[in-house]
Amino acid sequence: MAVSGNAPNGKKRKQAPAKEPEPSDEEALPEVGLEMLSDEERENGASDSEGDAIDEFPEIDARSDTSEEEDAEGLEEGDGEEDEDETDETEAESDDEIRIFPKLKTVISDITGQPKKVYPDIEPDYDSDSSTEDAPNRVGDVPMHWYDDLPHVGYSIDGKKVLKPARGDELDKFLQTVDDPSAWTSAFDKNTQMDKPLTAEELDIIRRLQANENPDAEYDPYEPTIEWFTGKGKEEIMPLSAAPEPKRRWIASKWEKQKVMKIVRAIRQGLILPAKPKTASTRPQFYAIWNEEPSTHAPPLPAPKPHLPTHAESYNPPEEYLPTEGERKEWESTDKEDRERDFLPQKYHSLRLVPAYNQFIQERFSRQLDLYLAPRIQRAKLNIDPESLVPKLPSPSSLRPFPHYRSLRFTHTKGRVRCTSISPDGAWVVSADEEGIVSLWEVTVGREVKRWSMGEKVGAVEWCPRSDASFFVVATEEKLHFIIPPNLPAAVLTATQTLLAPATLPPAPATPSPVKWTNPKSVGDGPILVLDLPQSSGLPKDIAWHKKGDYFATVSSGGNQGGVWIHQMSRRHSQAPFKKIKGSVQLSLFHPTKPHFFVARYVRIYNLAEQKLLKTLIPGIRWISTMDVHPSGDHLIVGGYDRKLCWFDLELSEKPYKIMRYHSRAIRSLHFHPTYPLFASSSDDGSIQIFHARVYNDLMTDPLIVPLKILRGHEVREGLGVLQVKWVPRQPWLVSAGADSNVAVWCS
Amino acid sequence: MGRLRKKGQAGAAKAYVTRSLAIKKLQCSLADFRRLCILKGIFPREPRHRKKANKGSSAPASFYYTKDIAYLAHEPVLKKLREHKAFAKRLSRALGRAEWSSAKSLQDNKPVYKLDHIIKERYPTFIDAVRDIDDALCMIFLFASLPSNARVSPSLIENCSRLAAEWQLYVMHSHSLRKAFFSIKGVYYQAEVMDQTVTWLVPYQFTQHIPSDVDVRVMLTFLELYQTLLGFVFFKLYADAGLVYPPPIDVKKEEAAAGVGAFSLQEANRSESAPSTKKTSVEVDGKKVSGKDVRQTIKSIVSSTAADADADMPVVDATEQEADEEFVAHPSTSNPEEAAALPTLHSLSSLPQSTATKLFAPYTFWLSRETSRPIFEFLVRAFGGRIGWPASSGGGSPFEEDDESITHVIIDRPVVERANETPEQRERRLRRKFVQPQWVVDCINAGKILLEETYAQGQTLPPHLSPFGERTGAYDPMTGLTEDAEMAEASDESEIEEDEEAAADEDEEVDDAKDKSKVARKVAAAVADDAAALRAAELEAEAAGVDYGMFEKEVAKSQKKAQKVKAVEPDIAEAEMNKMMMSNKQRKLYEKMKYGNRKRETENAKLDERRKSLQKAKKKQEKTK
Repeated sequence: MAVSGNAPNGKKRKQAPAKEPEPSDEEALPEVGLEMLSDEERENGASDSEGDAIDEFPEIDARSDTSEEEDAEGLEEGDGEEDEDETDETEAESDDEIRIFPKLKTVISDITGQPKKVYPDIEPDYDSDSSTEDAPNRVGDVPMHWYDDLPHVGYSIDGKKVLKPARGDELDKFLQTVDDPSAWTSAFDKNTQMDKPLTAEELDIIRRLQANENPDAEYDPYEPTIEWFTGKGKEEIMPLSAAPEPKRRWIASKWEKQKVMKIVRAIRQGLILPAKPKTASTRPQFYAIWNEEPSTHAPPLPAPKPHLPTHAESYNPPEEYLPTEGERKEWESTDKEDRERDFLPQKYHSLRLVPAYNQFIQERFSRQLDLYLAPRIQRAKLNIDPESLVPKLPSPSSLRPFPHYRSLRFTHTKGRVRCTSISPDGAWVVSADEEGIVSLWEVTVGREVKRWSMGEKVGAVEWCPRSDASFFVVATEEKLHFIIPPNLPAAVLTATQTLLAPATLPPAPATPSPVKWTNPKSVGDGPILVLDLPQSSGLPKDIAWHKKGDYFATVSSGGNQGGVWIHQMSRRHSQAPFKKIKGSVQLSLFHPTKPHFFVARYVRIYNLAEQKLLKTLIPGIRWISTMDVHPSGDHLIVGGYDRKLCWFDLELSEKPYKIMRYHSRAIRSLHFHPTYPLFASSSDDGSIQIFHARVYNDLMTDPLIVPLKILRGHEVREGLGVLQVKWVPRQPWLVSAGADSNVAVWCS
Repeated sequence: MGRLRKKGQAGAAKAYVTRSLAIKKLQCSLADFRRLCILKGIFPREPRHRKKANKGSSAPASFYYTKDIAYLAHEPVLKKLREHKAFAKRLSRALGRAEWSSAKSLQDNKPVYKLDHIIKERYPTFIDAVRDIDDALCMIFLFASLPSNARVSPSLIENCSRLAAEWQLYVMHSHSLRKAFFSIKGVYYQAEVMDQTVTWLVPYQFTQHIPSDVDVRVMLTFLELYQTLLGFVFFKLYADAGLVYPPPIDVKKEEAAAGVGAFSLQEANRSESAPSTKKTSVEVDGKKVSGKDVRQTIKSIVSSTAADADADMPVVDATEQEADEEFVAHPSTSNPEEAAALPTLHSLSSLPQSTATKLFAPYTFWLSRETSRPIFEFLVRAFGGRIGWPASSGGGSPFEEDDESITHVIIDRPVVERANETPEQRERRLRRKFVQPQWVVDCINAGKILLEETYAQGQTLPPHLSPFGERTGAYDPMTGLTEDAEMAEASDESEIEEDEEAAADEDEEVDDAKDKSKVARKVAAAVADDAAALRAAELEAEAAGVDYGMFEKEVAKSQKKAQKVKAVEPDIAEAEMNKMMMSNKQRKLYEKMKYGNRKRETENAKLDERRKSLQKAKKKQEKTK
């Protein structure tokens, strides 16, 4: 109890409110500590004693809250003197204002003559005992649900029924909680069947329970120890008992001794062994560990062994192993990891001169690092002759004939020879250069027979494949010129003339075409027929004849409809097969046997008769420079500026059957020989590659492609090499036109 | 459609764990993990797709198999390591509180782990273990030569040197050494044990210090494992050889730095092995040889060379010697022919072994004091020879320098004039052969006794070549020494002749030889060109007075040459063209292989050329002399 005056007042002491000596009494005590009473309790006490402060309760509660906060602060600060002062003041104030406890008087006793405390008498009126104050229901401590069905809740002291108070519905209850600020501190009292506000004391108990404190406010866990019997001045001098000290207190126990001696004897006899240190046997014991059957588990893979030393590591190696000064420097300058050898060969004349190897421990260490840090991979080492990787192909000499030397060279005056074409009978070559010069010369001797000057750049020259008529088409800017070569037999000449300039023109098409077919009046030896392509269609880069010689297709660089036009000789009619085409068309080609038409961008194959897209081949080449179809019509080769050659089997997939990359520069031209199983490719690296390309009729056998010969002879001018290659029909000869303004004939 | 597969729930993501994850799983420190990995032989793996294994992250990490780590989690050693951690804490606390007695009892009960189960696990069969002792031997021999310091305790070093000696004893006893090589790094030895070649490297005898960039903890962990492994391997080897393991050590000899000689091999429980050996009677050279016969012969020999036997290696006791086949190790110098002719049980038991394993059996060596005793003692005794050394090289020499039986002296110092030499000394010197150390190893590697003259004291030694050989196709200095030398000589001579001719030409205008050579050159040119030129050349030859037969020959020769050139050229071109038809992958592989081959060839060519130039220089030097 708080009687003790020497309590260290770090905390607020909570004092029992009732029937306690007054603080004034404490002041009178000599060594009194400061007793701190919280406002809260004081108020509580007041409310208790007065018993009418219910309505004001919330206010009090609020104040108590603040005081509690102060408490907390005080606690944080520790033993704050300020705090004590404050409480002192409040104490004084409370002394002035309200007296909770009955006022204590100190009077001199008549009998003893000493001062004594005199309390006023307690008046036993109703007001004095709050517990009996207003409890109209005298039903006692019975379960109140007995009254659930009854209109009353019990009986008053007079034996009259205490009726249940009127209870509103839920809404009323809610409104009440909203209106009444003290609603949250009130609880339902079963005894009176109504909400009663909780007293401050009860609230304090709730708070304490919530805070896991002792619900008893008076309980002080840190009570100071009171030294009743110890401490200064309280030492016991006299013994408690006068009995003399027994002998057993100072004589060693005989029985203990007997017990110990028993153990000692046992130890001496070796019956009890002292605990041996467990780690005494530090020396490992070896035994036949491999005598038992090995487990069925596969052993872990052994670590790879280090390389065995070679001659160079000898202390006395052959002299050729010794590094030169340069090699030594190089070895020293390279990083340790990059060195091929981890040592420099050295020669000592005798063994006694060999010093210690200064990297010995490092090498051992790095080996150990390898053993436990390096990931190990089992790699199958390919121990084969690299030559076995080269495919075995038939020897080129067994695949003759093919062109292997240059038999003659025809030189244009200047300008790159862009295009060349050979007459279907294989006797004449027409070649055109960028200056607009078109030359006609003989294949066998290279004599120029005639020369035309177009005056502008020639994009393409192509001989009509018809045998009954002989003429060729020269493409210049937006124009196609049809030219009849000289020295034709009369029958052929007339047939050609009637074909190109018929006496009776076929009826004009219903819709006027932008392409105009005109026969110039003064023919001379100039073009007999001129075809005007639409405006701004640019230079036709490519002319592709149908095999029968009635149709031909041109591809121009500009204009819409992809610049693709198909012209029909017999009807003197031109039509654009595509209304609109995505991207620019680079090339076009007729299928040799079927009414199919190839258009290169991605290579698309159209059926002209049914007018639909058959297939799109994906060569994987960004810029296609050239393509050619095999005479059988089942295979297509496509060459690109990115040096790739793709061989397509049209029966199979739209992906290439084979992709080859052997030219060091862009492929410029590809051509299949019409009769021999040959094809040639030319490139900007100035070389021509001849291939043997055998195609089998059965679908199971893959085409056989054998590189035969690389023909070199053209010079590379301004990054351009051989611009076009064409085979001479019926002969294994090749005509190539180069950027060095030469046209060469290669013979077998 | 099957169940949806979540990423990172199967495959590489589950099969691999990174090191940090593994450590987290095992709840041990990185050092403990490293120790476990070393002991258990667990090493990181390279997943095929690092990104897949690392859950999509491409951060550098080392991966382990998840299963490996799962096995590690059950490892008793890991438990012991944890206990040790607790022990260390307790001990430090006890020491901090100055509780000496509890610290002592803690220290006494310090947790230690055993590696027996790991040895059995890693090497299920004995062969597996023998196959893998290379590294262990290297480490043991290295640590046997290291000075002790704070981190490397003297007891460890002592144990290492004991193990090293035990291994050497076994190899000497079983005569299983095959090759040796003096390299600049140390001495490589190769032995054949249980049909496994075991190669180990021993550093030269110099004090080495562990450099600072080497993590001693790693080495010590490895050493821990290796000591256990070698202990078990040696136990088995000794047991199989019928010897006691560990061999008892003679402390006195050990203190006198006798090295290997301080240990003595003891036969284990003779009664067990005796019946089998006794009953063996083998036919050798058409004669039936029984154990009895052999023993009788041994007796006779022993009595004749009693002095030798007494002074011999402490390999076997004298009593055992009588009953045993060990006598071969003690050759009689008095009648070497007899000793060589006598078939012995030991040689019979190892019939397939080549006789080269007893290469030095007839000889007795004396080591000069500048040569390394451990190396040569081991080498000579492994090949059946006897060896003695001066006291300065350590104690335990079986005989003294003035022993009459000494046939060879291994000496490694320049020749000095001996001014004051007693005739006795001189006589002794003349009787013995003085060879340089390389002779011993070269003999071993050659499998025969080489001529001593080339290795005599003060001679320039022939190059010492690796007995392990080079990779196939590498430059071989030996072919250069034998075949090419002759060729080179011939060509050199011809070249020199030509040079001389050129010199002579200036002096004398007309020279037959010159004409001939001229004609030859012309013919060569003609054949290359065409028939007309050939005719012209023929005429000229006639004019020069070269007979027709000779001319024909020249023509044929040059034609052949030309044809060869021609035949080769199109082949190359064809091959080049055929390469067009290769796929990209194949081409890359081809190029890679070609690159490697070319590199090797240039290396070989470089060495070859260098040798030729060296030889030429040598010749010239000789000539000028």
